[in-house]
Amino acid sequence: MRNITENPDYPGYLLKCNESLHLDSGKFINEFQIAYQTYGKLNEQKDNAILICHALTGDQFPAEESPITKKNGWWDLMVGPDRPIDTNKYFVICSNVLGGCVGTTGPNDINPETSKIYGMDFPTITIRDMVKVQKILIDELKIKKLLSVIGGSMGAMQVLQWAATYPDSVKSIISIAGSLKHSAQNIAFDEAGRQSIMLDPSWHNGHYIEKNEKPENGLSVARMIAHITYLSEKAFQNKFGRNLQEKKDLSFGFGIDFQVESYLRYQGRAFVDRFDANSYLYMTRAMDYFDVSEEIHLNQEKIINNEIRFLVLSFTSDWLFPTRESKEIVSLLNSIGSNVSFAEVVSDRGHDSFLLDEPQFFRVSEGFLKGIKK
Amino acid sequence: MRSDYQIILDLIPQNSKVLDIGCSDGELISLLANKQVSAQGVELNQEKVISCLGKGLDVIHGDINLMVEDFPYNQFDYCILTQTIQAVQKPDVLLNTLKKIGKNIIVSFNNSARLSKVTRFLLSGSFDSLLKKADSDQWYNTDYIHPCSIKDFKKLAKDLNLKIISTFDVVNQKKFIDGKIPSNLFCKEVLFLLTNE
Repeated sequence: MRNITENPDYPGYLLKCNESLHLDSGKFINEFQIAYQTYGKLNEQKDNAILICHALTGDQFPAEESPITKKNGWWDLMVGPDRPIDTNKYFVICSNVLGGCVGTTGPNDINPETSKIYGMDFPTITIRDMVKVQKILIDELKIKKLLSVIGGSMGAMQVLQWAATYPDSVKSIISIAGSLKHSAQNIAFDEAGRQSIMLDPSWHNGHYIEKNEKPENGLSVARMIAHITYLSEKAFQNKFGRNLQEKKDLSFGFGIDFQVESYLRYQGRAFVDRFDANSYLYMTRAMDYFDVSEEIHLNQEKIINNEIRFLVLSFTSDWLFPTRESKEIVSLLNSIGSNVSFAEVVSDRGHDSFLLDEPQFFRVSEGFLKGIKK
Repeated sequence: MRSDYQIILDLIPQNSKVLDIGCSDGELISLLANKQVSAQGVELNQEKVISCLGKGLDVIHGDINLMVEDFPYNQFDYCILTQTIQAVQKPDVLLNTLKKIGKNIIVSFNNSARLSKVTRFLLSGSFDSLLKKADSDQWYNTDYIHPCSIKDFKKLAKDLNLKIISTFDVVNQKKFIDGKIPSNLFCKEVLFLLTNE
């Protein structure tokens, strides 16, 4: 049984599914829900729907004011009226990923089997599991074919997974700052972040909610490490240089001397307020496990027959998901003979460029969407 | 329509797979797509890439000197270089790569050895006239870094083991076969159809 209701906790909706979800790990989740938000209007032919896939720390609120941060949504520059993903024209859907912490079933929900919080009993999930849940949502919305599936970073992984697993259900794909598989270096960064959380005594093997605690230090350090990887050397240099934080001289101690230290600590602390540590563990693991090349090969005929159009985008200064990895996507898609376009946007702001005001990036995306025939 | 495009449209059969290197704003791939040819472009200029995307064309953004190697082998029936070869850093290296990714190669260029051009060079004593692509070009800032003649290109094809199927005098729309080539002295623009077989 599936039914859609308004979301009591956040703006948007909840799709509740009273059925079991078979995961890649072989395990099941028996009852789950998907929290999502929509923008714009679905037309009668139901052929103007675009699915946005959020990145690791994103949520289902890319546009308008975010109910979580009370600031503009994380992709407000990209999604909205007269934006590149124009909600006057398109019906935009964005859902919180499986394992997330903004309404979709995740490790801090109650396990219906035990009536206790899952914690680490939550099964390990994959990017394909996340996409499987999104497909259920799209089916429930009675949309046969998405005009486009668009996402950056972990969102790009989901986007490619969509083409590989459900080639009959997508017209086009925009993969932004993504890769076919998580690199060794990226797994290494993820592991450093996870260890930081799991070594925090307040983590309590994942059962911190029952103890009324939070591994705040661990999660905040994990975010600091990750945040460094989202920028570039030049971005740090331009923004902070070696400037001191509200002082004229070095303190000869280990407090905050440099502006960059203050910034990182602030990023870490702010993150703790809006994100959950266990979700962070599960989602980074899902990224580590991601490798979509084989499935693309497996379904290549369907990808070709459906004439899916791909746009692969990268940023010059992104060293977390460098241009080379986007080119590997292009190369693979070319080798199966699919319709692929590629553009590299010049930006010195690193991986995070896809969330920032990058006019060239917007124009490329908008141009590509304009060229998609309904 | 450009006269070399007309020849190319006549040469390429339906349902072929084509890579147009230096596709600009996609005029040729757009014409080919209308003819049921599956065409993809490569273009360095981002504005032109955006223009191609807006027309629903498949285009890869990048420097042809660096990125053609990213294409998998044996992917294309035709690789096309119109008015580009003289601006490529290493024409021999590029052609060798194209040989691997496509069956046939189409190259068109302006014959740098034609009498009118050589005469102007002799009379003016300046390389500007020989290397000019646009009016603002001078010998030190031109894209035409490799001026070449019809004879030069024929020799390069031989050195690279590329077989010449036919050649065209583009302006006069005249075809040459059996190893014949347009006049090195009088032909303004030439088009070569080569194969790696």
